[in-house]
Amino acid sequence: MKTDDLIDALAAGLQPARPARLNALLLACAAAASVAAVALLLGVRPALADVLSSPTTWMKGLYTAGLAGAALWLSARAGRPGADTRAPLTALAAIVGLAMLWGAGELLAAPGGERLADWLGRTWTICGRNILLVSAAAAVPTFLSARRLAPTRPAFSGFALGMATGGIAATAYGVLHCPESTAAFVATWYTLGVAAAGLIGAVAGRFALRW
Amino acid sequence: MDREAELKRLMLRGLDGDPVAWRMLLTQLRGALPPYFRRRLSGLEADAEDLVQDCLIAIHAKRATYDRSMAFTAWAYAIARYKLIDHFRRQGRRVDVPLEDAAVLTAEHSVEDGVVRRDLSKVLSILPMRQRRLIEDVRIGGFSLAEAAARNGCTEGAAKVSVHRSMKALSASVSSHED
Repeated sequence: MKTDDLIDALAAGLQPARPARLNALLLACAAAASVAAVALLLGVRPALADVLSSPTTWMKGLYTAGLAGAALWLSARAGRPGADTRAPLTALAAIVGLAMLWGAGELLAAPGGERLADWLGRTWTICGRNILLVSAAAAVPTFLSARRLAPTRPAFSGFALGMATGGIAATAYGVLHCPESTAAFVATWYTLGVAAAGLIGAVAGRFALRW
Repeated sequence: MDREAELKRLMLRGLDGDPVAWRMLLTQLRGALPPYFRRRLSGLEADAEDLVQDCLIAIHAKRATYDRSMAFTAWAYAIARYKLIDHFRRQGRRVDVPLEDAAVLTAEHSVEDGVVRRDLSKVLSILPMRQRRLIEDVRIGGFSLAEAAARNGCTEGAAKVSVHRSMKALSASVSSHED
């Protein structure tokens, strides 16, 4: 096809374009899929009503939801060619840094003999694995939510979307299933689980996000 | 005239669904893209033409990702660079495509184009600023008389008279140069 004909074809019947965003409906699907995965594969904690009224549960949820929010912001920016991604990257780093400081402060304040138990909890060996398991359920709708965007760095956008997937999954896991309640535990093992989801997302993004 | 401002104006009108502006924008890019690709492909003409088409299709299909507060050139450059990297990758080559200033996209024009541009602004410079803006809007920017009048804060009738006078002054100046 001649380039001039191509231009004529593209310009003919041009429609007004609404700004491209992440698809909120698909992100809601990702959250629903995470909740379903926790309920079906891992089970919901007993006495959920008590759990949900405890502030530590909400601090956990707030941290991972914050990670998800910053990662979604990063995904949206990374999906706009030429856009500056420094602000969402800084936000993401600040959220992780804040949680780590809080966790470190908590450990320092604890009596020496309890520190290791506080840090490792009872589930440190399975926390990351469970977050990845739930992420697997949330990954497809999260990645699809970026379909209207145009990531010019597929691996980087995959990392951002993977972190977002991990953040959404970890929020469902933390609120509904996980019995741990120390900041040191959450800052370490949740962060590692979400980061692992980000790395897997980066690899997947190299293939899945090309356009 | 500021090329970025000109392209951005066309882009914004394209986003609002103006096919004429969109056609103008794609045509301008069709002129700007080949030198960018050709230089980086070390002269593979056929590939460069394919890439230009890929890139125009991408710019069309992904136009909704343009953020109105951003520089148009930065957006278009990021897409062109992505398509170039993608092209190398598909050939199984790992080529490092340096991240340059986005202005390279529009700076690499043929000599002829630059001369025309310079002549045009030289000719227009004989006009008072207000008249000059009107004529740029109507004759180059592609605005209707009514739009141009609104942009410059005068009535449509006044704009019409002004453009008419400008054209007369311009043709008089050009023919006196040629004598």
